[in-house]
Amino acid sequence: MGHKRRGHTLKTSPSVDTQRQSGDERSLKHRICMVSDFFYPNMGGVESHIYQLSQCLIEKGHKVVIATHSYGDRRGIRYLTNGLKVYYLPLKVMYNQSTATTCFHSMPLLRCVFVRERITIVHAHSSFSAMGHDALFHAKTMGLNTVFTDHSLFGFADLSSVLTNKLLTVSLCDTNHIVCVSYTSKENTVLRAALDPEIVSVIPNAVDPTDFTPDPRCRDNSKITIVVVSRLVYRKGIDLLSGIIPELCGKHPDLCFLIGGEGPKRIVLEEVREKYQLHDRVRLLGALDHKDVRDVLVQGHIFLNTSLTEAFCMAIVEGASCGLQVVSTRVGGIPEVLPSELMTLCEPTVRSICDGLETVIAGIRSGNVASPAAIHRKVQTLYTWRNVAERTEKVYIRVCKEPVLSLSDRLHRLQNHCGAVAGCIFSFLAVLDFLFLLFLQWLRPDHLIDVAVDASGPHSRLGQSFSKKKSKMANPTLSSVS
Amino acid sequence: MAEEEFTDINGNSISLDCQTHSAFCREFTVNSPKLSLRKVMVYTCFIWIFAYTIFYFTENTAFLSSAIIVTLIGMMGYIHFVKVDRETLLIIGSLGVQLSSAYASGRQSTTFIEMNKLKDIVINEAVYMHSIIYYMCILIKDPADPDKVTSLVPLFQNSKPRLNCLVHVYRSCQEILAQTRLSMKQDKDWKTPEET
Repeated sequence: MGHKRRGHTLKTSPSVDTQRQSGDERSLKHRICMVSDFFYPNMGGVESHIYQLSQCLIEKGHKVVIATHSYGDRRGIRYLTNGLKVYYLPLKVMYNQSTATTCFHSMPLLRCVFVRERITIVHAHSSFSAMGHDALFHAKTMGLNTVFTDHSLFGFADLSSVLTNKLLTVSLCDTNHIVCVSYTSKENTVLRAALDPEIVSVIPNAVDPTDFTPDPRCRDNSKITIVVVSRLVYRKGIDLLSGIIPELCGKHPDLCFLIGGEGPKRIVLEEVREKYQLHDRVRLLGALDHKDVRDVLVQGHIFLNTSLTEAFCMAIVEGASCGLQVVSTRVGGIPEVLPSELMTLCEPTVRSICDGLETVIAGIRSGNVASPAAIHRKVQTLYTWRNVAERTEKVYIRVCKEPVLSLSDRLHRLQNHCGAVAGCIFSFLAVLDFLFLLFLQWLRPDHLIDVAVDASGPHSRLGQSFSKKKSKMANPTLSSVS
Repeated sequence: MAEEEFTDINGNSISLDCQTHSAFCREFTVNSPKLSLRKVMVYTCFIWIFAYTIFYFTENTAFLSSAIIVTLIGMMGYIHFVKVDRETLLIIGSLGVQLSSAYASGRQSTTFIEMNKLKDIVINEAVYMHSIIYYMCILIKDPADPDKVTSLVPLFQNSKPRLNCLVHVYRSCQEILAQTRLSMKQDKDWKTPEET
């Protein structure tokens, strides 16, 4: 019993804060640690989601730090805009930028981050991120509130998804709250991880509408351009695309394709181009930087998305924001992303997509489609990061009120939810993790870890140090860090 | 003048000794705890018991004598190259910064950094072993390109004081640096009208 109390000493301080300030929920400021394997300089949807969400939360006055693994020689502690602190922890990368899950080797560093930043909520992102799952596991052992955001859809049939689903079940069964990006994704996650739907919220992604503005002058109006921007992989339906290209190019001599992105399926598109002699009409741009995407998008009239599975398609929002006509497959969470007047939905077959494209092309020729500026105005208000941050804040407020499970409750939950074998194995791991935490607390007690100087949040020193820097010459005694 | 008690990142107590020689010259000395007898005993016993166990099975006396040599050389090497008793940072406003560390054997190592190479003294954070610590370092600039930082020289590397101690040293150093910059600026202001 005595041991247990020592393990949960961390919990008491935030909960005391909560009680004192519960009179006004809005003024309650959280100290959030976002954990994910995926962050800049790696590029992608998850990375920009974490960055934008953090920026908006900082704007709302919360303290946010990000923990990720080191990328090349980018290791240690870095600061981004507005005092967003990023810990690039030296953990070994195993596969596809994901760290190895050994459950324990990340504990000392993550504990140090949580303690020195006085974190109250740990928010992990992406189910592919082993570091995120590790962090959730350790945070629960340390008695911190946990939130998880799932960014992708999974199947149920093949071996890898069966294993990932089991891991997800274990990882999420005692997490306080789960966020999904669309209702389809919520349904999928609830089924995969056998969760109570009550604790799963839906908060969509957003795009920065100022980055994706239409510019009709960039278009070549003598022909009709179809833009495809996606990674060239099976999941994005590149095989469908290779069926569509020859069929439409045969029918419409003024049609051309602009394809951005890189991947193993590029060879399929190159074969098609070779076979039908379409070198002047199908341009493959290769890998695109995120900043170049807009310049490619504005050159087109139609944005085509052929994904076979998608939790929330950012690409079609970006396309619509640039004022393009969107044609997409009706899979996953896509139908809920945009209102039906802004996009044309088709079944994921070559026939159906061709029909959809034909109607849109006919619409463009006759001129009865909405102007790019009108589409942009509609999309502009649909998805903003401020809105996402507001909704995430509500999740945090709710999570803060919930108690963190004690070790015995956690073991109960694990054994009841995850089946006999996995439940026992992970209960054992949870106990080991707890003992490891006690060992670390003995080796390096919490009071020996220096509390970090806040760079964001209510006690931020960043704004002050800027003004101090200016006054450095006038009054040297003021120019100090702490 | 004042001597204050602080701890290093592992919780061992260290003492910080600040001496103000003049308004432009200060000296900071961080004293680490002396080599403890208990630590020496534990390591010696460990090596000797290990050697005796091998000797028990092999009955080869070479192991025993090598254990004695290893212990002696290890201890000498430790006090001569590893164990630092005292680290001193002497900052002289118009001249530069002198860093010296005194080893337990009495060996001294000293480096000097000129003022025109020194860009600033800052407190930084780093991942060290399995934790994240604050440390103090000097930013070295290239005299040709004053905006660029070419390298870092960490201070108090062996004693590793905690943040509260570093902040104390940092404030005093910044006072002197600011005064120096101010006087250099005044010098320039004085010279330019005469030259023109």
